[in-house]
Amino acid sequence: MTHAIDIRGLHYRAGRSFEIPSLDLRVPTGAIYGFLGPNGSGKTTTIRLVLGLLRPRAGDIRVLDRPMPRQAADVLARVGYVPEQPHLDPTLTVREAMRFQAAFYPTWDHAWAEELLVAFELDERRLFGKLSKGQKGKLMMLLALAQRPELLVLDEPTDGLDPVVRRDMLAALIDYVSEGGATVFISSHLVHELERMCDWIGVMDQGRLVTELPMERFKNGIKRLVVSGAPPAVAAPFSLLSRERNGAATETWLVRGWEPEMHAFFDSVGASLQRVIDLDLEDGFVELLRTFRTLPPRPEEVR
Amino acid sequence: MFDHIDPRSPTPLYAQLASRLRLAVAAGELRPGEALPSVRRLAAQLRVNPATVVQAYRDLEHEGFLEMRQGAGTFVRDVPTGRRTSERIRQATVLVRQLIADAGRLGVSLDELHSAILEEMGAKAS
Repeated sequence: MTHAIDIRGLHYRAGRSFEIPSLDLRVPTGAIYGFLGPNGSGKTTTIRLVLGLLRPRAGDIRVLDRPMPRQAADVLARVGYVPEQPHLDPTLTVREAMRFQAAFYPTWDHAWAEELLVAFELDERRLFGKLSKGQKGKLMMLLALAQRPELLVLDEPTDGLDPVVRRDMLAALIDYVSEGGATVFISSHLVHELERMCDWIGVMDQGRLVTELPMERFKNGIKRLVVSGAPPAVAAPFSLLSRERNGAATETWLVRGWEPEMHAFFDSVGASLQRVIDLDLEDGFVELLRTFRTLPPRPEEVR
Repeated sequence: MFDHIDPRSPTPLYAQLASRLRLAVAAGELRPGEALPSVRRLAAQLRVNPATVVQAYRDLEHEGFLEMRQGAGTFVRDVPTGRRTSERIRQATVLVRQLIADAGRLGVSLDELHSAILEEMGAKAS
């Protein structure tokens, strides 16, 4: 498998307050990779390192098979970026912003840029500084897509925007990906949006990558089990992330790597499994962070 | 047609999509020869990964419900009446199984459920 983004042994520190001690992260070529994590977990920093906007203290970052930041100019010509905060000269009109962006990208698709302008209902004469938040978001997406990038890096592109705008932006993104098979690296707090479209998930917390898995495996593995009569110590065939008592009769277990056949395990230890509760991506994400913060890291959870 | 696609469900999205299409063919909502939206269009409309749509279409092609013609698109096949009936019955079983499981969780007895079904059916028939 080739990787559009390949980070190994990355170390970064900003002052004393924030550190990424050692990060390994791989985004398979052609994937739509959802990058999750609470505020301050290091997502935006990682994105800025990927784009060569920050310099690591140690480690290797390869983007589209080129070393970063050494070959930044080459790489950035093939990467579309939608930042968390749109930053364009507020005195440019929409049309001028498009012309400005087009000048940097030999692959700029004029026809498609015009189509997106219409689809996004943007007024070409309007000043960037006078656009609404949603219009700014759509313009940034237009600028990133019309350059026909091989890799799209999107830092919370739709967070804080209304549902209609989000829908338009993501539909345009999916349309582009379906056609050309570009790789997408997208961070967001809107977990359900990522759940629809991502086939890979990476979760960051406190400067560390908690997990990185194909979406199906992430969702299938994590369950909440309601158990009664279990002995205090068990050697389970799944990994037991946490165990809490619900009053006298039952316990709630959070497990990973669950398979339906593992039912039999409970009979073998004289316990009974009363319910298996499916966790969606958001529940799984929340539980994962909770256990990551309360338990020492386990070798199989941290790559 | 795809309003009920639920990304939060433990059933994978491609399976939800395939199941909805299968039923649409079985119920005649999609007619033989009818063209389905392109992968690109449907993926963008649902904001799902294009691979999800491809996998749903492939599964249904494999089952004989759809035909993917290179360069032309994806079309509904003429599925024999018997096959369509058995598919609808299968779907009915799935629905009832779900209903019984929900009733069990809510503490509604099977007798109560049964009479409620009969009553609703009677109300609809009259």
